[in-house]
Amino acid sequence: MKQQNKIITGLLATAFLLSAHNCFSQAGQKGTLSIGVNYYSSNNQVPRVGIKVKTKVDGRFQTVGGIPLKIFLDKDSTGNLIGKVVTNEQGEASAYVPPALKAKWGKLVKHTFVASFDGNKKFDAGTGDLTVGKAKIVMDVTDDKKITATVFEMKDTAWTPVKGVDVKIGVRRSGADLPVNETPTFTTDSTGSASADFKRDSIPGDNKGNIILVAKVEDNDQFGNLSIEKSVPWGSKFTWVNTFDKRTLFATRDKAPIWLQLIAYSIMLAVWGILVYLVFNILKIKKLAK
Amino acid sequence: MENIVVKGELLTDAIPEQKLSSKDNKIITDLLPQEFGKAGKIWVGILTAICLVGAFAYYRQLRYGLIVTSMRDYVSWGIYISNFVFFVAISLVGSLITAVFRLAGVKWGSPLTRIAEIIAVAAIIFASLIIIVDMGSPERFYNLFTHGRIQSPIIWDVIVITTYFFISLLLLYYPLLPDIQILLRFKEKTNKNLYKFYAYIGSFWKGTPEQFRLSEKAINILCITIIPVAFTIHTVTSWLFATTYRPGWDSTNFGAYFIAGAFLVGAGAVVVAMYVFRKAYHLENYITESHFEKMGRILVLLAMLYLYFNMNEFLTPFFKMKESEAEYLNGLFSGNFAPLFWFAILTGMIIPTIILLFKSGRKPLPVFIAGIMVVVGAWFKRYLIVTPTLLHPFLPMHDAPASYRHYFPSWEEWAITLGSLAGAMLIITILARIFPIIPIQETITEHHETAE
Repeated sequence: MKQQNKIITGLLATAFLLSAHNCFSQAGQKGTLSIGVNYYSSNNQVPRVGIKVKTKVDGRFQTVGGIPLKIFLDKDSTGNLIGKVVTNEQGEASAYVPPALKAKWGKLVKHTFVASFDGNKKFDAGTGDLTVGKAKIVMDVTDDKKITATVFEMKDTAWTPVKGVDVKIGVRRSGADLPVNETPTFTTDSTGSASADFKRDSIPGDNKGNIILVAKVEDNDQFGNLSIEKSVPWGSKFTWVNTFDKRTLFATRDKAPIWLQLIAYSIMLAVWGILVYLVFNILKIKKLAK
Repeated sequence: MENIVVKGELLTDAIPEQKLSSKDNKIITDLLPQEFGKAGKIWVGILTAICLVGAFAYYRQLRYGLIVTSMRDYVSWGIYISNFVFFVAISLVGSLITAVFRLAGVKWGSPLTRIAEIIAVAAIIFASLIIIVDMGSPERFYNLFTHGRIQSPIIWDVIVITTYFFISLLLLYYPLLPDIQILLRFKEKTNKNLYKFYAYIGSFWKGTPEQFRLSEKAINILCITIIPVAFTIHTVTSWLFATTYRPGWDSTNFGAYFIAGAFLVGAGAVVVAMYVFRKAYHLENYITESHFEKMGRILVLLAMLYLYFNMNEFLTPFFKMKESEAEYLNGLFSGNFAPLFWFAILTGMIIPTIILLFKSGRKPLPVFIAGIMVVVGAWFKRYLIVTPTLLHPFLPMHDAPASYRHYFPSWEEWAITLGSLAGAMLIITILARIFPIIPIQETITEHHETAE
């Protein structure tokens, strides 16, 4: 009986210690997430919501991947769900406003996007939100290569020009957008317009000389991110020459340069010719013995 | 086998009786291959044991893959490639002693030719083997021939190593033919199996003037051919590095730098072998103090030449200290690699030069010590050519763990490397057991010429 009591007491103590450790460890490990929400409207088409999730580790922000989030339009309810997303390794996720919410989207001139996280073992629950006004950007070009970008916002039921918005006007390249001239940013006037002269005449375009002009509003407090593109034949014609199939030092073995093959194989032939001759010479010496 | 024996017996009858003077007989008796004594057997036993440990380590590498090594993304050429460069370098000695001396009419070098050729053959065999070891799966060697690109310096190296191996083999074989005739004549001084082997490879040699003429012509052709091929093998090996854009390798000087280093280590290996064979086989009358004196002079010249190339390689980058190379250079001069770097420079070049500059330093023992220092310094120098550069690329690698930024060979790498070094020495030892370490016929001829 005494032995049995000892075992029960030991087991209870172990269970207590384990549960206590579990409680402490959970309390100590949980972190807080910072959920950033961004709004993107490209070419005045379907709006997109972008999410960026970070957390502070040792006083520095680090992105957090694998966080499941729900994105809502205006309020956290099932009927307003834009989508469910999970952040990637860079802590990013995005979702387009679905057609089912078209009616709700059209009703108001301002909307709030809400991203909510229910919490998990590592992080507490959290939300992030962003309120933006409906806006659009229009781009016009003239024959003398002048580009005009106009920003409008929806007021009541009409598109109204907006003054004092910073607009970048550039040419789309593979890595980033190149400003059309030395001015990096233009500000809209009372007509909502910002104009720029195109000064990149020699820039290579496609095989017809087409380039893509871009006008964009970035991280605007009222309107989020707006952008519009337009293709114009202002670039120089670029014909890509494929060197893959040519004879180069970097080509496949069957495309080795002729000069290299001639030099290499003639040296090999000469040296190995001598070696073969010397082997036959041994046979010759052998014959002399008979 | 019986045919060979019959052939051997016929041969013995067929050789006309030559009148050998007592001096000739003494030369033959002195220079005939000798059976291993107790020390020789222990030496062979130790080398075999090291080889077996290396073979076991290689088995582990084959079974588990290159993960058993410490080579990772940064250092993908580790101790194996350092060892390969060392073997390639040491193999140059064949062309130095045999070809350069012969073509330059240097008569005193003839007792050293066979030692040099044996070292060259052993080194080039293990240079080839260590490359296969470095590949991981040995079947990849086959892919080099089926998928190799003639534009790649790696293929040039494969071609030129194979060529050099065959030339070295022929250069060992041709001058052996007259000696094999002598070995066959002294049947009682050899064992049955060796006798059969001698008969198989050289029973056709009768020593007729026509045979001598053909053999001499072949040796001359080989001597002329081996020099450009030897220069090519070292230049191409240096291009494996120099054609890769990295700190420490981005040099137009690398070909000459490698050839100078190869001549030095080759000559160092020869003086070490000269001393050991002289002691082991009591060859004091054939490998004289004069040989050590002359080889000492050559060694000091080569050490100073290599030191000059080293100054060229390091002084100009040090003076400029480009930001992209600073970490690499500081690592060598005063950082992690500094002890090894200064050890290699001091041991491999400066101290041997100081020893050999003095007449008393060119006696057999000091020359032997200087030779050992040169060889050891040269091995570490090759390690320093390969590893520090790989640890300091111009651009850091993405997503590579921090541990990849350091390299210290695993025990498998050490065992395989030491096994290969032991293997090369074992081949030299076995060849010295089978063949006369000093050309007998040539020594007799020289003796006659001197007497006349």
